[in-house]
Amino acid sequence: MQMPVLWVPIAIPLLAAAALLSVPRRFLFAKEAVSLFAAALNLVAAWTLFGKEAVYAAPWAGLGAEFSLRLYHFSGFIMLAAACFGFFVLVYSVVFMRGKDHARSFFVFFLVSLSLTNGAVLADNLIVLLFFWEGLLLTLFGMIAIGRPQAFRTATKAFIIVGICDLCMMLGIGLAGHLAGTLAISAIRLPLDALGGLAFVLLVIGAISKAGSMPFHSWIPDAAEDAPLPFMAILPASLEKLLGIYFLARISLDMFRLTPASWASPFLMVIGCITIVAAVMMALIQKDYKRLLSYHAISQAGYMILGIGTCLPVGIIGGLFHMINHALYKTCLFLTGGSVERQAGTTNLEGLGGLARKMPATFACFLVAAASISGVPPFNGFFSKEMVYEAALERNFLFYLAAAAGSFFTAASFLKLGHAAFLGPLRQELKSVRETAWPMLLPMLTIAGICVFFGVNNSWPLEHLIRPVLGPLSAAGHGSPGVPGEHMLVIVTAVILLGAFLNHVAGAAMAGSGLKAIDHIYRAPVLSGIYEKAQRKVFDPYVAGMKIAENFAKFSAAVDRKMDVFYDKGIVAAITAAGHRLGRLHTGNYSTYIIWAVAGMLLALVFVAG
Amino acid sequence: MLSCILLVSIVVPFFGAFLLPVLGRVSRGLRPISALAFVLASLACSCLFIPSVLKGETVVFHMAFPLGLNLSLAADGLSVFMAITSALISAVIILYSFGYISHYENQNEYYTMVVLFLGSMMGLVFSSNLVFLYLFWEVTAVASWRLIGFFRERGFVQKADKAFLVTFLGALAMLLGFILLYRQTGSFDLSVVREYFQHAPFPGVVVVLVLAGIFSKSATLPFHTWLPDAGVAPSPVTALLHAAVLVKIGVYVFARLFVATFPLDVRWNEAVLIVAALSALVSAGAALRETDLKRIIAYSTISQIAFIFLGLASGTVVGLVGALLYILMHGLAKAGLFLCAGIVEQNTHTRDITKMGGLVKSMPWTAMAFLFCAVSVMGVPPFGGFFSKYMVIAGALGARPLAIVLVFLAGAVLTILYLLRAFNAVFMGEAPASPAKEGSPVMVGSVVFLGLLSLCGGVFIFYPSCFAQVAARQMMGAW
Repeated sequence: MQMPVLWVPIAIPLLAAAALLSVPRRFLFAKEAVSLFAAALNLVAAWTLFGKEAVYAAPWAGLGAEFSLRLYHFSGFIMLAAACFGFFVLVYSVVFMRGKDHARSFFVFFLVSLSLTNGAVLADNLIVLLFFWEGLLLTLFGMIAIGRPQAFRTATKAFIIVGICDLCMMLGIGLAGHLAGTLAISAIRLPLDALGGLAFVLLVIGAISKAGSMPFHSWIPDAAEDAPLPFMAILPASLEKLLGIYFLARISLDMFRLTPASWASPFLMVIGCITIVAAVMMALIQKDYKRLLSYHAISQAGYMILGIGTCLPVGIIGGLFHMINHALYKTCLFLTGGSVERQAGTTNLEGLGGLARKMPATFACFLVAAASISGVPPFNGFFSKEMVYEAALERNFLFYLAAAAGSFFTAASFLKLGHAAFLGPLRQELKSVRETAWPMLLPMLTIAGICVFFGVNNSWPLEHLIRPVLGPLSAAGHGSPGVPGEHMLVIVTAVILLGAFLNHVAGAAMAGSGLKAIDHIYRAPVLSGIYEKAQRKVFDPYVAGMKIAENFAKFSAAVDRKMDVFYDKGIVAAITAAGHRLGRLHTGNYSTYIIWAVAGMLLALVFVAG
Repeated sequence: MLSCILLVSIVVPFFGAFLLPVLGRVSRGLRPISALAFVLASLACSCLFIPSVLKGETVVFHMAFPLGLNLSLAADGLSVFMAITSALISAVIILYSFGYISHYENQNEYYTMVVLFLGSMMGLVFSSNLVFLYLFWEVTAVASWRLIGFFRERGFVQKADKAFLVTFLGALAMLLGFILLYRQTGSFDLSVVREYFQHAPFPGVVVVLVLAGIFSKSATLPFHTWLPDAGVAPSPVTALLHAAVLVKIGVYVFARLFVATFPLDVRWNEAVLIVAALSALVSAGAALRETDLKRIIAYSTISQIAFIFLGLASGTVVGLVGALLYILMHGLAKAGLFLCAGIVEQNTHTRDITKMGGLVKSMPWTAMAFLFCAVSVMGVPPFGGFFSKYMVIAGALGARPLAIVLVFLAGAVLTILYLLRAFNAVFMGEAPASPAKEGSPVMVGSVVFLGLLSLCGGVFIFYPSCFAQVAARQMMGAW
């Protein structure tokens, strides 16, 4: 069945981007109008396609790489979510980007990103997937580079890290295609043997690097400071998370059919736990609104990877539910950060304080989203985290411990952030700050509303969005929506949250300010040493990798120069020396020449006779 | 009829080249335009073979000469693919030269040599006689020798000599190999030689000798150092010779002899791959250290040529298709990079990337074209380089040791590093004191065209891939 309609969500944003490029600059507001229209149209298309099934295939690069798209529940759901975030963030950006340099480039990159995301989600062939997926590298680079004057360095860092991961994914795709004999995602079934395992790991690198997991994360905090803020809200906070976790789920559920007994399950869970704890510890000590949020964007990806890695239905459902919840509250949080930046002129927490009185609506959105990310009932993050906890505890107590510790520090850092930015005394220079404009407020309020809805009424998203993804798998009795069944875990969560609150109150009282409320953790005996190294970027894999590349380059350049010396000096010297030697044979002595001639003739005779 | 066109596609540029000085006497404007016309004629002739190739037919032209020196030409998938690629890129480069070379002396020599070069390139790809292959090979060497030393400074001429001597000595080794083949088979004709070796083992010494020629021409370790040195040539020349066309000669002959005619066995292929892998790594590392823009791009060429060998020596259809697409996509993108470097060099009067910066503001179109070509070489979609890079790697997976593929992956990582480094150093960051302006419209137009071709090569991959598949199947099967 051929359904060219699947082209629509790819084509709409792309055509709009092309239109933007051709509109002359002097038509004011044309770029905003075209972008808004395209994002709205994209949302309508995604809404219409949601819940339907369709396939499309056309010949393409050949040799197994055919242009095949497949719409089914999961891809439709991700596409709808992406379209929603695309629309909300675009509405927000229309005001946020006004008067900024490169606004047009921003909208072009934004729309192209939407188009590529739709393509990657719909792809039913690994090459088609990679084509759209890796194409996001360019918009990633572009959107970061148009930020602050030196932002291109961060853009380069992002490009290199993500580009290397995409190359790994390319190798994984080649390997998977070779082993399975097909590149059609829905047809690939692979065992986790030696080569299959390698393919799995390479594909997972591609997926989790998109989701922003450690150790492929270090560009995100830098981008938070350098890139225009809506970039953070759209790519690292929502689209990339959706894509990365979507593909991780496809790899583990469809292509490799992971079971709890396989080694891949603890492999994923360990990555998830390390990401949760290490990133949140870094978030704790940040002194910049956006940078702090970006570390949480990394840390929360850990919960999703942990949930899927448990290979238990409740964990997978929890992980996927957390994916959509995270995209909601993290987008909302970044948008509040943008409002603060635009209204107060800075996101440095040392220069903020008491904004709640001046920006009450923004503060309300912040409260909802922060409560969601901290896992406070009855907001959405609470329910998805409880499901991940339940699955993690069933696998091993240690995984649960890491996840619970993550919760404690998440709550602690949001208490600190909220306290430092919105509460406390209002600074003199912030006296004239006003509430943000309504086109920026509206998306925040809407998303915060969805956070509440997905929490209070969690059976709706679980039944309509998440559970159909697993199909019959979820019939095992786990993961039923509604109030979490494991009462013990809920009590522990409540204790943890209370502990975080008390910790904050005590810390703030000790240090005398909300910003310094967690300084006692920062100065703790072992931690302070680790923190000090982390701030010198000792643990940044990018820095280490670049050092290796630099040393290798030095070595190979030396090899290359040595070879060149052989050509430029060695051969020349050899020929000159040979010339001198041969020259000396020409003594001018008559009899010597006769001997030469006779010897030559003899040699010729031997050759002819032979 | 078609077989006559085969002859025409070679004769027009080959002999037309010598007419150019005469035409230049008639009118100065006529010279570049007729140069372009000769190349376009050759391109058009090559395109006429597309239908027959897609049908799987091979057009041949034969003219008997004594001593086995028959002039025999054949247009099969591989040669037509190469011919179209070379002529297309050459045509864009000549267009660019209208702007670049217009204020230099010795334009007669320039246009004659460029068109002669293209003519002998066409002769080389269509030849199915080893002696003619060698002859055309050497004509390209002579033409490139004159073109590298075009500016006539002492150091430049020495570098031209170096390029000539290295490739010439390699070619002599290759000729020796051909003569050995003649002694064994009694013919220089590829079809006869091929027949003979259907039943006899192919002599290893010939493989080594011919490989020496191929590696020296394709600037592969350890015969590669002439290529970065040849960056002293005018930019369109470096684009033409050292990125787009000349270095592809060695690769083409490898494909023609060792893939399509007498396939090498696995051990030889793996030996070639080890050399290529080392070449890819060492040159990529050197590119990361280099500060001369044109030398960076030249090292990049050495590194990318190795990827083409990876595809050719993989022994799989996917690898072969990838290698052919690589020749096309890399040619387009790398020519674009060299031509951008030419614009930058003419407007900033330096090639040292540490003395440049922030040019994206004053040269936005050049910057865009450079970025398009660079990401195509890196293999980022939606650019054409993505498919070729994926295919050569996928083709080698499973057919060749995984370790070799991993080395190439490291090479691909380094490609991203050095190209981004060059782009950032030239176009991003702080602008230097003296402001630069955008190049002339025809030059900027040419590079933007190449950038867009790289993009189209990816978006419309169906067409080149279709053709390359026909060619690859032909190479793997009957010739």
